[in-house]
Amino acid sequence: MPLEAPARIVGELTSRGYNAEREAVTRLAGASDPGAALERVLEAVPEDALVVRTEHVETALSADAADAARAEPAAVLDGEPTPSVSTGTDPTPGDDTSGAAPVEMGGSSPADRSVDPASRSLEIVGDMTGQSTGTGEYEDFVSVFRDRLDRLGGKLKGRVNHRPATAIQDMPGGSEVAMVGLVNDIRSTASGHWLIELEDATGTFPWLVMKDREYVDLVDELLCDEVLAMEGSLADDSGIAFVDSLHFPDIPRTHEPSTADRHVQAALISDVHVGSQEFMADAWNAFADWLHTAEAERVEYLLLAGDMVEGVGVYPDQDEELDIVDIYEQYEAFSEYLKKIPGDIEIVMIPGNHDAVRLAEPQPGFDEELREIMSAHDPRIVSNPSTVTLEGVSVLMYHGVSLDEVIAELPEEKASYDDPHKAMYHLLKKRHVAPQFGGHTRLAPEEEDYLVIEEVPDIFHTGHVHKLGFGKYHDVLAINSGCWQAQTDFQKSVNIDPDAGFAPIVDLDTLDVTVQKFS
Amino acid sequence: MRAEDERYFERLEDQLESAFDVAERAKERGGDPKPEVEIPTARDMADRVENILGIDGVAERVRELEGEMSREEAALELAEDFAAGRVGDYETKAGKVEGAVRTAVALLTEGVVAAPIEGIDRVEILENDDGTEFVNVYYAGPIRSAGGTAQALSVLVADYTRALVGMEQYDAREEEVERYAEEVALYDKETGLQYTPKDKETKFIAKHIPIMLDGEATGDEEVSGFRDLERVDTNSARGGMCLVLAEGIALKAPKIQRYTRNLDEIDWPWLQDLIDGNYYDDEGETADDGADADEGDGEATAENDGDTDASEDGDAADVPEGPPRVDTSEKFLRDLIAGRPVFSHPCAEGGFRLRYGRARNHGFATAGVHPAAMHLVDDFLATGTQIKTERPGKAAGVVPVDSIEGPTVKLANGDVRRIDDPEDALEIRNGVEKILDLGEYLVNYGEFVENNHPLAPASYTYEWWVQDLEAAGADVQALEDDPRIDLEFPAPEEALEWATEYDAPLHPEYTYLWHDLSVDAFRDLTAAVAEGRIERDGDGSVDGNGDDSVLVLASDDGVADALETIVIEHRQRHDDDRIEIDDWRPFVRSVGCEPRQAVADGAALEPDQRPEIELERTWTDGDLSERARTWGHEAEGDNAIEAVNEVAPFRVRERAPTRIGNRMGRPEKSESRDLSPAVHTLFPIGEAGGTQRNVADAAKHAETMSDTPGIVELEVGRQRCESCGTETFKNRCPDCDDRTTPDYRCPDCDQRLEPDEAGRVECDHCEREGTCVETREIDVNDEFRGALESVGERENAFEILKGVKGLSSQNKVPEPIEKGILRAKHDVSAFKDGTVRYDMTDLPVTSVRASELDVDVGQLQALGYEEDIHGEPLTHEDQLVELKVQDIVLSDGAAEHMLQTADFIDDLLEQYYGLESFYEFEDRQDLVGELVFGMAPHTSAATVGRVIGFTSAAVGYAHPYFHAAKRRNCDGDEDCVMLLLDGLLNFSKTFLPDQRGGKMDAPLVMSSRIDPSEIDDEAHNMDVVSQYPREFYLATREQADPEDVDVEIAEANLGTDLEYTGFEHTHDTTDIAMGPDLSAYKTLGSMMDKMDAQLELSRKLAAVDETDVAERVIEYHFLPDLIGNLRAFSRQETRCLDCGEKFRRMPLTGDCRECGGRVNLTVHKGSVNKYMQTAIQVADEYDCRPYTKQRLEVLERSLESIFENDKNKQSGIEDFM
Repeated sequence: MPLEAPARIVGELTSRGYNAEREAVTRLAGASDPGAALERVLEAVPEDALVVRTEHVETALSADAADAARAEPAAVLDGEPTPSVSTGTDPTPGDDTSGAAPVEMGGSSPADRSVDPASRSLEIVGDMTGQSTGTGEYEDFVSVFRDRLDRLGGKLKGRVNHRPATAIQDMPGGSEVAMVGLVNDIRSTASGHWLIELEDATGTFPWLVMKDREYVDLVDELLCDEVLAMEGSLADDSGIAFVDSLHFPDIPRTHEPSTADRHVQAALISDVHVGSQEFMADAWNAFADWLHTAEAERVEYLLLAGDMVEGVGVYPDQDEELDIVDIYEQYEAFSEYLKKIPGDIEIVMIPGNHDAVRLAEPQPGFDEELREIMSAHDPRIVSNPSTVTLEGVSVLMYHGVSLDEVIAELPEEKASYDDPHKAMYHLLKKRHVAPQFGGHTRLAPEEEDYLVIEEVPDIFHTGHVHKLGFGKYHDVLAINSGCWQAQTDFQKSVNIDPDAGFAPIVDLDTLDVTVQKFS
Repeated sequence: MRAEDERYFERLEDQLESAFDVAERAKERGGDPKPEVEIPTARDMADRVENILGIDGVAERVRELEGEMSREEAALELAEDFAAGRVGDYETKAGKVEGAVRTAVALLTEGVVAAPIEGIDRVEILENDDGTEFVNVYYAGPIRSAGGTAQALSVLVADYTRALVGMEQYDAREEEVERYAEEVALYDKETGLQYTPKDKETKFIAKHIPIMLDGEATGDEEVSGFRDLERVDTNSARGGMCLVLAEGIALKAPKIQRYTRNLDEIDWPWLQDLIDGNYYDDEGETADDGADADEGDGEATAENDGDTDASEDGDAADVPEGPPRVDTSEKFLRDLIAGRPVFSHPCAEGGFRLRYGRARNHGFATAGVHPAAMHLVDDFLATGTQIKTERPGKAAGVVPVDSIEGPTVKLANGDVRRIDDPEDALEIRNGVEKILDLGEYLVNYGEFVENNHPLAPASYTYEWWVQDLEAAGADVQALEDDPRIDLEFPAPEEALEWATEYDAPLHPEYTYLWHDLSVDAFRDLTAAVAEGRIERDGDGSVDGNGDDSVLVLASDDGVADALETIVIEHRQRHDDDRIEIDDWRPFVRSVGCEPRQAVADGAALEPDQRPEIELERTWTDGDLSERARTWGHEAEGDNAIEAVNEVAPFRVRERAPTRIGNRMGRPEKSESRDLSPAVHTLFPIGEAGGTQRNVADAAKHAETMSDTPGIVELEVGRQRCESCGTETFKNRCPDCDDRTTPDYRCPDCDQRLEPDEAGRVECDHCEREGTCVETREIDVNDEFRGALESVGERENAFEILKGVKGLSSQNKVPEPIEKGILRAKHDVSAFKDGTVRYDMTDLPVTSVRASELDVDVGQLQALGYEEDIHGEPLTHEDQLVELKVQDIVLSDGAAEHMLQTADFIDDLLEQYYGLESFYEFEDRQDLVGELVFGMAPHTSAATVGRVIGFTSAAVGYAHPYFHAAKRRNCDGDEDCVMLLLDGLLNFSKTFLPDQRGGKMDAPLVMSSRIDPSEIDDEAHNMDVVSQYPREFYLATREQADPEDVDVEIAEANLGTDLEYTGFEHTHDTTDIAMGPDLSAYKTLGSMMDKMDAQLELSRKLAAVDETDVAERVIEYHFLPDLIGNLRAFSRQETRCLDCGEKFRRMPLTGDCRECGGRVNLTVHKGSVNKYMQTAIQVADEYDCRPYTKQRLEVLERSLESIFENDKNKQSGIEDFM
């Protein structure tokens, strides 16, 4: 279906320095002669308006209703006018007097973004917003871990000849055995070997990794509650097995990423922290301005991996470091900043640990009240984590709280704040965004484990640690976007130097990354 | 020492000795771990030091040195003795250093606290990288109780001894230096330090310190860098080490330097750099350090510049003039707890007014509050309740003092009344609409000395005024002698007369709080007064105006507010459009109006009416000087005192320039000390006694049908009878009744071992420590029945006899069950050391009346009290006598408990030891004159006290020196009393837990007499005068340093004949127990009830901002609870309901892996959201900030998101409408 009309209208409006409400665009597109209607509307809008609103369109169109009726039946642009909308929320007129920033600010040619929405496609998988069925009962916890074992275990069961834990105990000593299970415990023995307890739905069984075996290096990488397969031989008394090999669910080496059919780009950012005294408004504005330039005309998607705002009560006495103390005003301000992004860019966002949703993961997307505040640009708001597929390229978006834990638990050379993408590799390898229970990350039990990486993504996008880093693991592009918040007092005290004001841009047709700097 | 003091102590010691004899005889007969009394008596500090350390010869040497030098010097002298082997029997160098260090700490803590034994684990010799030997001192957490100076000196002594025995200095490795820095910072974060050195400072110290500081891990948190070091055997923070380094060396460097200078053997030149802060320059090794150094210097210079500027500003005359005021401090409001109300915000009008003085039940970290105020704050304050206070200290114990001014309240009927009688307070309490003023708050001069706090401007009070009057030339003596005159509470015209005749400031009784009124409001008030009229209220009351007249003002909100602000008694009758003031003359004159006889209209004049009085205003607004118009503290013109002084015909001083903010801390305490759960006997019964640890149940318990009931496998110490070779766990051989000894064996080769002189048991072959602990089967039934029989009791003599699960002492020697049976019979329980204890909040008292102690004059006389405080013969119950230093007052509960304990002891003597009973008490009057032990936590020395009477307050009143001897002050601290013979008979070191801190809170030694120079010197700062001089009050207006004012404190009499006497006070109080006996905090039921009452009270108090209170309760109590529980929920452990096994994560089987039982969560929805609705409601009702409300909203949605099913939302009733 030809969908040029809305896009062209938006493009035309933008080029003349207007933003527009979605509904207004829809109405215009639905007019008998969109081009003429647009002209009439622009004549009618008040001098100081920066956003074309539904009422402007209505006034202009109804004034000329008779004319319109007599007009020759031009090609009626039918079809779905708003292909990218699924949230079903009504847009509300925002407060545009304060700062619906005119796109022309910044000086550089605010330009002809000649985008073609028709070739876009955007699908979401794994959004659990509105699907939270857990009620915090013991059984909920049990079933979420069972689901993890079922799904990730399923990926391993073909690779080894596994037996249930209880069956292994009854096998004769010296047998070759294999098992698939959740890591229940990791500890070192007095003689320097490692004892790893695997648990499956029948019980637990201890596996010993000898300190001189090649696999001993991998023990450093293990986290509790991740799913593993182990192979080895039973001790004489069948009370323990010696590990010969261990397998992670992992990304298959044969994995070949999908790419877009055309040259189109996505900006992957996170951790905006609007409301913080350290929020870098200038860098953000420069970013928004750049998006309006021809250089950025291929950037048609913007993915935001959490922490839109600084939040309230995230840490003690936070109010003293807030620029905007009111949480709703923080989102309103964020929405204003979002409006500076060209209206034709598709935005997908997930919440982070500073956002006003539950901290326990998976985190559902924002509630209706917050969605309304941010509705002006009509972003897609989905849960953390979620997978979004852009023209065939799947992007797993996860805020990244578990990275702290991976970095803390793993040796420095395997995961560090300086190379956050390397920490991400481990999550890919484990096929789970936050394996370890009981530590840093919080779990809200749901009927299924939404944190499992069921399908191999083409891109894995996280934030949270405020460091920029990207690289490929088995051909999966892992990107940790930086942030838009300058170094905080706390970060200073622990000597963290954030990568602030960067926007990694991914070519969806090649999965190449370029980093734009705005600070 | 005066002869009478000597008599007093001899008498106590005689009494002690006779009890000792009884105990010795009993111990010889019984089956106790030792056949003699285990609490040695120490007559002085030297004795205590020796007894605590257990090193012979120390006491003698300490006594030799004591007269000649300071204690610190003596410690160094003793180090030489240890090094030379003159004292102590140590062969190794490490032993010598250890002995010297322990002795030094014991000496500096006067042999009272447990730090020397518990705080220093050991001393080791380690090797430097160049192969030379150095000393490593291994500190433990309890070193904290030694205090910074003793901690720092322990390092010096260690170094000195090291030098003397010939070892090298410690040469810290680079990673060790870094480790110190990281660890000190970690410990500060985790536990908190009084002083936290910067990383550079720590590293500087670590690099230069000549001995290695090491210690035990005290926390769970581990350092992240510099782990697994060769010479540091833990990755956790070593608390003892951190304390010594930070609060010892870093904080007390100047003190140590004083001693290093005099020692030739050792040289700590780096101390000077540490003191000067020169450690930045010292490194100079890397460019990085150099840069930092510059930065540091830069800062320092900048600071200096700032200081200079400030002082110049101070000198400059262009500073706006204003009344002297203290700065507000919000610290005391931190960590406000739900249910513990705020009484006054910092320096808030309407809060407690600072009055200087010491009541007889006061001083030593206490605050005097009027008992009427205690009732009016809804009984939240009681005698002994701890309050956190704005100044001068951090906390204080509340004492009732009724010789100060009470609170002023506004009643629902419009009356504004000052309440000076607790009875009145109770009567009108329900009608109180607003507490306009909390009344006075008595703080003694010594508190300011102790806290080194500049004097705060004093309230204008009687004791100051009377000196002003005298200074003005009045014959005060004559006035005092005149029976018709009440100088303290004069009639209004008398007050006016003195003010005008002598040109002295107006009497405080009629001085109102003009300084809280703005100049504008003052003008308006004057105008209203000038419009007012004088009426005869016709009630015949003279009201001190010489007639029954009353001033009537027209009803007006501004006027009412002004009258409430200056806190004058009046009646608001808004319905009748009138405000009435009774004692109006001084008030009218203060606002510059003159009463004049008006020539009334003759026609209207009724025959019985006297001429009208009109009020004439003597000044106009223009008359006020610029100074008076702009006089103020916070804003120009917010203080009308100068205006008053310009318009009134006499001088008026600021009535209450200093208000003191405070809030409730801990409630007072008076209850028996029970282990948790309470136990009657330290006899182990394992799991056989069930959760109740019931010995009778254990006696019947059988694991399976085939087991013999009562046979339980227990870990106990093996004892051996030397005469017949029988093995037993008892202290007496069951076969031949001889005493047995511990039977130590090597765990490897089972060789029988003997302990060496130091008490260590080691197998020479296997190099392993021997032990006598073994697991053996004990027939609990047999033991229980046998014990019942031996004391001649039947099972129905008690409800339940509770034992312990297992023993935690080193040799695991059980207590004879007989003792437990008798304890159970008398319903008393045993502490970990075998004693029966009762805890009370400490409060001081220096003079008492027989009448308030529920004793008669005869009883006091029998205790050696012959004269009252004025030297008159003691004949009457109401006469005040000066309390003797070791006499104590028991709370009613303590007396009851002591009676039960005495009955237990009597039965124990008769039925177990086979002796005659000792106490034979009929009622509590028999307790008067009996000896007890006072014993404080964290100490190891008991102090002998004598019961003198009883009080209904839930506290232990005693002489401040008695508390100081136990190392307590009275800011809400509590400690325990034990009945003398109970301690002597039942205490045994053998029972003490074999773990860090096990020897704390145990009477390892007792002091039979208090030497004032050997107590906590905080008590020496208490003032002991009956009047503070006028110069003192004037100096408070200058906010002078307390040391610069001449008020005698107890220190002055130390070492003289007067050291036990002459504790005078400035304020009397009717009874040492007034106001509520228990704080409402203890009588209210649930936390919610307490919080409701707290918030309700905050609304009533003029000095409290209820929104702030609600904010703080939410911020410090509800939110942490909610957030913490929510966090805990989403990362929780699970536990098996059947066997108690814990799992880090929910088992995939769903059931317990150990027993197959049901597993459940440890944190449930209910515990997470229990405060949610209350918090939201409070935030709403008390109008909290949006920030707070939003935090709660976000949390509430989180809770919903986690605990509610999106697809099955709980529906409200509206869904069905």
